[in-house]
Amino acid sequence: MSKLGQVVEAVEKYNGFVLNQVKRARSDKKFGRELTDRWDETKAKTPVTHTPTGLPLPRLALPEIDEPGEIARYLFGEGLPGEFPFLNGAYREMYLEPVREIETGSYGKKTSGDGAKEKASGNGAQPLEEPTRLFSGLMLAEDTNERFHYLTQHQRTHRLSTAFDGPTLYGIDSDADGVFGKIGEGGVAIDTVEDMVRLYDGFDLGSPNFSASMTISGPAPIIMAMYIAAAKRRFGPKVVPKLRGTIQADIFKEVQAQNETIFPIEASLRFLTDMVEFTTREMPRWYPISISGYHIGEAGSTPVQQAAYTLSNGFAYAEMFSARGIPVDQFGPRLSFFLDCGLDAEYIALARVSRRIWAVGMRDAFGAGPRGQLFKLHTQTSGRSLIAAEFKNNLTRTAAELMLAYMNATNSCHSNSADEPFTTPSEEWIRLAAHGQAILLEESGIFKHTMNMLSGSPGMKAVERAVEVAILDEFREIERLGGVLAAVEDRYQRSQIQSAAHRYEQQIYEGTRPIIGLNRYRNGSDDIPEVKLARTPRKKQQLQVDRLAKFKKKNAGKAKRALDRLAGVVDRGENCFPTLLEAVEVCSLGQITGRLQEVVGRFRPMV
Amino acid sequence: MAVPIRILTAVPICDGHDSAINTINLEFIRHGIEVIYLGYHRSVGDIVRAAIQEDVRAIGISSYNGGHVEFFAEVVSQLRKHGADYIEVFGGGGGTITHDDAAAMKRKGVDTIFFAGTSLMEMTDYVRKHYGKPRERTAPKSSGMQLARKLTEIEEAYAKGKRRPAKQIRNPQPAIRKSNVIGFTGPGGAGKTTLIDELVLRFLSHDPKGCIAILSHDPSVVGEGALLGDRATMINSQDDRVFMRSMATRGQAGGLSPATHDCLALLAQSNFDYVIIETVGTGQEAMPFQKNGIVDETVLVMNPDYGSRLQLQKIVMLDLADIVVVNKSDLQRARTAHTEIEQRLGQNRRGQRLIDTVAKRHRDPGVDQLFGLIAGNLSRRVGMTADLSS
Repeated sequence: MSKLGQVVEAVEKYNGFVLNQVKRARSDKKFGRELTDRWDETKAKTPVTHTPTGLPLPRLALPEIDEPGEIARYLFGEGLPGEFPFLNGAYREMYLEPVREIETGSYGKKTSGDGAKEKASGNGAQPLEEPTRLFSGLMLAEDTNERFHYLTQHQRTHRLSTAFDGPTLYGIDSDADGVFGKIGEGGVAIDTVEDMVRLYDGFDLGSPNFSASMTISGPAPIIMAMYIAAAKRRFGPKVVPKLRGTIQADIFKEVQAQNETIFPIEASLRFLTDMVEFTTREMPRWYPISISGYHIGEAGSTPVQQAAYTLSNGFAYAEMFSARGIPVDQFGPRLSFFLDCGLDAEYIALARVSRRIWAVGMRDAFGAGPRGQLFKLHTQTSGRSLIAAEFKNNLTRTAAELMLAYMNATNSCHSNSADEPFTTPSEEWIRLAAHGQAILLEESGIFKHTMNMLSGSPGMKAVERAVEVAILDEFREIERLGGVLAAVEDRYQRSQIQSAAHRYEQQIYEGTRPIIGLNRYRNGSDDIPEVKLARTPRKKQQLQVDRLAKFKKKNAGKAKRALDRLAGVVDRGENCFPTLLEAVEVCSLGQITGRLQEVVGRFRPMV
Repeated sequence: MAVPIRILTAVPICDGHDSAINTINLEFIRHGIEVIYLGYHRSVGDIVRAAIQEDVRAIGISSYNGGHVEFFAEVVSQLRKHGADYIEVFGGGGGTITHDDAAAMKRKGVDTIFFAGTSLMEMTDYVRKHYGKPRERTAPKSSGMQLARKLTEIEEAYAKGKRRPAKQIRNPQPAIRKSNVIGFTGPGGAGKTTLIDELVLRFLSHDPKGCIAILSHDPSVVGEGALLGDRATMINSQDDRVFMRSMATRGQAGGLSPATHDCLALLAQSNFDYVIIETVGTGQEAMPFQKNGIVDETVLVMNPDYGSRLQLQKIVMLDLADIVVVNKSDLQRARTAHTEIEQRLGQNRRGQRLIDTVAKRHRDPGVDQLFGLIAGNLSRRVGMTADLSS
């Protein structure tokens, strides 16, 4: 049995345990009393906050139950926010605006927003971070850098999320044959460590208020090495342990859905593990992998498939890192997740259920400690749900998806721009997308007074139960196929996703899946609305090619030696990450990819 | 009988968005079109080379990652450079290609762009209406193009039901033969395509001037379309020294097309060092190369999962193949398969060779061994001086 089979058993066993606790709470008077006491104490300790109109509300809303069995069902089956099995949230508090005047707070007597925020971060607690993390990347490094500064100008914390252009995502250089028009399109062009220096210029990479997210998987170890090298160039070697951020590096989902794999699967997984071994040891604040369902969802999977494949991929990585000898409490806390949030009913509870399965699986099948049980989640609203026809409707779609994401207590969120069906989002629509989050979290009273205002309805519970059953069924099927890697090589997930995508399109075509403005309430015009497109000018593309040529010329001799060393290390099966760190000082992304492909081969597409 | 329209589809370099093209491919073949699918992340050079070799009517490109104006224009310009501007270029990219972009692309020679909201039916109708008519062409500008067109002539003659008077290319004498012809067959899913691609990689690096032709087959029913997808998997075979042609069987049983024999004969005389022919996935009774007389060396590629031992007795090719390969020999069952097949071959007493490979593995020693064996056998057979067996 692979670890996934053990996870299924662990979840089944845990569900049995919860039922037993319910029974015991009802039959064992002493146990029942303990639970009731704890419940009453929790309620009594819950701080009260006041809305701007003076209405008192608890910061945490608990179900109105007083029967020991039901209390047991809640405490063991769901857990309070921040408590195992984390159904209600990975942390004790989320989204809440800083407490002000808890006991005496009265209408009209409030501190200004900024003052309250400062108080909150000054009282010894973790500094609060806005959950907003907007994905961006365009043209050359300096252009994206400018966009980063624009996006974060009013934020206390600088959480950057980087999109790379096509050549970078495929590990090739801007001077490669036939990619000229793609330089800086859909993301930023990065060829060398010098580009990486430009990309985050002006940001303090070692600061606790800074974190960088990089959305790249195929060549992730090379890009990671460039990031570290760039940080060292700017801040010296001591910055390395302070670096905070995330790199996607999710090979399984690339093979299953996104097609940005450049080495054969096993070699890709090995380079990934090399990187994880290094970062979890040397960079304790870095997330070296973001286990991503987003692209699985965008490729057309059902929500259940998305959660099931993402979780099972996560467990497969955990199994792999354990097999390398990395302690579970070293890598467990450094895993994070990334899910899609669309408009289907499943999304009301998809992340909640995922959080619970992850916690139980990591604790009971992998022996992870509390920090390694947390399903730390970044959510992005669904790009696929956005359409070109009457594209302003996309604002409403994204708003509804954001609402669902927050109901799932996501730890951070990206809201898509309404113009996304056309191109890299423009500033106007990015601003509206960011405001959507602020309106829900800061302007509205839906999340800021009571953190779980909308949790636990009978409808939500019904979705939770149905989704958990369906996810476990998917796990069993993958286990039957020999585990995640075997199923991937068998194209199992890929075929399932493609078939779901086909059904989705069919439903739209037949009209059984209403899409407003497309197959329902259509206004009859097929025109693409005037949208200001952000395209990379030829002059900039040429500049990138010229810079790269200069870099290559300057380092020609050193590059050859570095590549030879790298090839040797890879051939001998050693951890190649330290050698990569040296290589990126003098080699371009494409040079390194090319040399590695000579040693381990190229990825053969699955069609 | 109408001749099926052949088109090539692909997704540009640095673009992995293949879900739209997958759906469109299926719709095309459902309407009688033969689609040669090149896959995603494909360069202009690969697309143009494939289009010329396959002698398609049009190239359909599905682009979602930007840079489409330049990419499409480059495809058109490369086609012109090769004297192949009789091949039309069309495509789409949902909302990423604006009307202004499309206008610019058309000015640069792109035939048409389908916008977001275009139905599959509209696309299919367009392809059938615009790329179904006979076309006038100037003389071919290269030997590769000439060969490609001759193959089309042969295929079309068979499709129209009149057998081509092809005496001059039937059963050529070994004396005028220039190529070594190797036939690959075996059940579907055994890994023939991947194995051939790995052999091509070895050949290309072993002989820096050598050239290879590949004739690859996928099944289809008379009058229906076909998805010819081997190129998408054969990443090493997209090379200027490889001439590859994908054929649909067009209703013929046994793993080959009615036109295969004549096409193969033509390729065998065309100055390639090797000609490789790959059948569709075959059944137990198949013996595709028997009446053919052109194939020098036959390779049967087996999957370790062939069922019971008794099944082996029924596989006719086990009696006929020169080399038997157990691919996927990393699978649990492979050891048993090797022993059982070895015994089965022993009954024949013909000195057939049995080799275990894992074609999906880079630098697999089994594939190295197979390459050495094929190269060695063939150099002995036709008295080649070059030693290819190292």
